[in-house]
Amino acid sequence: MSRQRSMEKIQTSTYVSIGELARLTGCRYSTLKFYTEEGMLPFEQPEENLTRRFPREKAVSRLKEIQRLKAQGLSIPEIKALL
Amino acid sequence: MREWTFAQGFALLALNAQDSLHMTTAKKIAVRCMAAAAILEWELDQGNLQGPFSTISEEDVENLAAVPHQQEVLRELLKRKEGLQTALPERLKQVIHFSNRILKRIESSFADPLKGMDLLEEIPNLLGCDMNYVTASVTMREYRSNEEAYTRITEGLRAEILEDGEMTDETILMLWLLRESSCLYDFFSKEELKRVAQRMTQLYQTNAMARAILAIDIHRAPEIAVKNFLRGKKEAFSTPIGTGVDFVFPFLERSQSIFIETEAWFENKEQRLQDVEARLAQYGHHYTVLRQGAVPLIRIDNVLYEAVPTAVQMKVPVQGMRLRKYPL
Repeated sequence: MSRQRSMEKIQTSTYVSIGELARLTGCRYSTLKFYTEEGMLPFEQPEENLTRRFPREKAVSRLKEIQRLKAQGLSIPEIKALL
Repeated sequence: MREWTFAQGFALLALNAQDSLHMTTAKKIAVRCMAAAAILEWELDQGNLQGPFSTISEEDVENLAAVPHQQEVLRELLKRKEGLQTALPERLKQVIHFSNRILKRIESSFADPLKGMDLLEEIPNLLGCDMNYVTASVTMREYRSNEEAYTRITEGLRAEILEDGEMTDETILMLWLLRESSCLYDFFSKEELKRVAQRMTQLYQTNAMARAILAIDIHRAPEIAVKNFLRGKKEAFSTPIGTGVDFVFPFLERSQSIFIETEAWFENKEQRLQDVEARLAQYGHHYTVLRQGAVPLIRIDNVLYEAVPTAVQMKVPVQGMRLRKYPL
């Protein structure tokens, strides 16, 4: 049994799950998954079969950076090259 | 934006796009599940979700003034002997017997605080502009959840369900509520639903709480059948072929084919458009005319519609414009 963490706790924790990152940023799950698989979002996966965890501050600032570059009209390969 | 509770989060998903004035079949299903969500939330708060049974007292209900939706549902259970001291499955099943009057009260206990928190609003439904509804003085309004809150809830939920790893209690309960309210199709694609089914089986085998909750059903099969039929019908008439068929036979799906009568016979294209604009403005819709001409293109509440000149045969022929979704 595990309870969902409140937004207050998520906002102060060092690592967050992908679900918590979606709740925190309002980004779509498919977008986060795509960025993760493209290596655009930093994450840790200590051992195989363990779920990915994201360093909250780095991941949130990286997402903001990606959104800013997208708003400037850059494509995903261009953004990847810049990051 | 203020943080919402578990039951309020489910209400934001369940009430979105529901008729806010009338107790439709789809809304009955949604509000029953919202009542179940309020019970689960209370049990979660008490830390008694897996206990053999729990007791509700008058004092418990009085102490819940700050959480009106829990208070309303528990007060209703308190009136029923079966709701007082029972195991969770029996208590949850009580919501099946709630009448329309009770469901209306429960809906208000959820909707009013959510409106106060700017998480829910009532907007006019385009169908209310249709000549048949206007002349019958039928007002049509629907709920719209705050877009940001809605995305945060649904995407957080989707991520936790579709990704590997442990699910939280709230997500398991939300998954069950979505299944019982027949809302899973709204949030997952056909491919994703296979993964959801896998995850549910996995949960059933490994998680005691999930095993207990997934075995409970609080839906009425005829109501779910009606809801699914109406959803399927709406989807069928949203396709390019369906839109054409609905234009010829609008009674098949009125929500996708809205007729707005013109003020006078044989109006020109500018006058026809003016009449349509006047009706949309009268009912508080946000619209922009994107293309003028004989068949104007209008964006109404962020959806594109073509306004096609046509006439309907009543006692006398009535000329007007029929709004139909613009196929993208």
